Amino acid sequence: MAINKNSNLYIIIYTIVMVVVVGAVLAILATSLKDKQDANVLNEQKVSIMKAFGEADASFDEVVTMGRLTGGEFVAVDTADAADVQAIFDLLGNRKALAEAEDALPIFMLDKDGVTKYVLPIVGKGLWGDIWGYVALQQSADNVVITGIVMDHAGETPGLGAEIATEAIQQKFEGKALYNADGEFAVRMQKGGAQNEHQVDAITGGTKTSDGVNAMLQTSIGKYESFLRATEGAAAADADVCDCGECEAEAIVEPVNVEEE
Amino acid sequence: MKLSKNFTSPLAANNPVIVQILGICSALAVTVKLEPALVMGLSVMFVTAFSNLLMSLLRNGLPSRIRIIVQLVVIATLVIVVDQFLRAYMYDVSKQLSVYVGLIITNCIVMGRVEAFALGNKPWDSFVDGLANGLGYAFILVLVAFFRELFGSGELFGFDVLARFGYVNNSLMLFPPMALIIIGCIIWVHRSINKDLQEK
Repeated sequence: MAINKNSNLYIIIYTIVMVVVVGAVLAILATSLKDKQDANVLNEQKVSIMKAFGEADASFDEVVTMGRLTGGEFVAVDTADAADVQAIFDLLGNRKALAEAEDALPIFMLDKDGVTKYVLPIVGKGLWGDIWGYVALQQSADNVVITGIVMDHAGETPGLGAEIATEAIQQKFEGKALYNADGEFAVRMQKGGAQNEHQVDAITGGTKTSDGVNAMLQTSIGKYESFLRATEGAAAADADVCDCGECEAEAIVEPVNVEEE
Repeated sequence: MKLSKNFTSPLAANNPVIVQILGICSALAVTVKLEPALVMGLSVMFVTAFSNLLMSLLRNGLPSRIRIIVQLVVIATLVIVVDQFLRAYMYDVSKQLSVYVGLIITNCIVMGRVEAFALGNKPWDSFVDGLANGLGYAFILVLVAFFRELFGSGELFGFDVLARFGYVNNSLMLFPPMALIIIGCIIWVHRSINKDLQEK
């Protein structure tokens, strides 16, 4: 009984069987690996936040207070409410929703040795795609100081814009005060080299990405400005709060090759 | 005898990358560092080996009119399997490889070997052929990544190698054109050794 392998009936049955088998295999695979994959994503977010805090060795779950900024007030998230905790991380993973969020903004707080630091998510656009990260802030007597920043990108140019994901660039932001004497947001990556104590050298050959970082910092941190500035000074009582001048002296990093453009 | 020839020929004399010039675009994209290059090479080996094996098993019942479609389904399935496993167990590397794992589907080596070999040969021979072609690809990738990471970042597998001797990183090595130039150099060396490959 020879089967005509090129008959329409044979081809249709062949295709149906193939699709069902392949579909079943992939569905089983995706379901069985999903938990592990989700755990990876969650873990990466937590590790990034701890890096921004400068506490890479500490456990996120033990030391960080998660919260939302609702109507200018810090509202802590009940960690027992797994769904609510997940909702925060889902928002962090959804960069579009995060960029559009105006209220109930996610914020992370860490108290250590009497010093309170906040970590905010930041999102923006680089040259080729999304850029995002976390910035850690601390309130000083009359300003808000960056104590750490972690940035990542979807597809910036390797060696140029992609450098924002390196520690060498990120360390330059440490100790920078956000607002200048006129109360304007002044931290930015400046093309041609930093002009004042608020600025950071831009990446040579990565000007568009540097511009993207500036816009990202300004808009993302701007959403939290009223909260950050309303409580500024509260933390000033702590004598060991790092004054931006001192911090800068500690945080001097070797200049990254700035070659001609 | 035949089996060992099937295995060794794609490694040098008939290497898919430097002789057949296939799979070049992923070779440019994922060879900045050794680790992703190695993982990419292993992923392609897995896909070529098992797509060859499966297509060889299916070859007698395969309707020739939809042969290409079936090949694509099999290859795509294997690529998704690799992608899902990387996401679950090698998350950092899968982030670095980003879309290039998915793009293994379009790698000419995979479908080329299925069409040229698996459809006309027994399963075990086909498996070995796929494995060897994947290995030939992986070897070139790792070789290119070795030079790019060594001179571009001064590191090998993330460990400082050249930096301790005061080497200044050459970021030109990190750009895709350098991968093309390095592959060109490898082809040059390879052809000057294998004279029969030189065009008259």
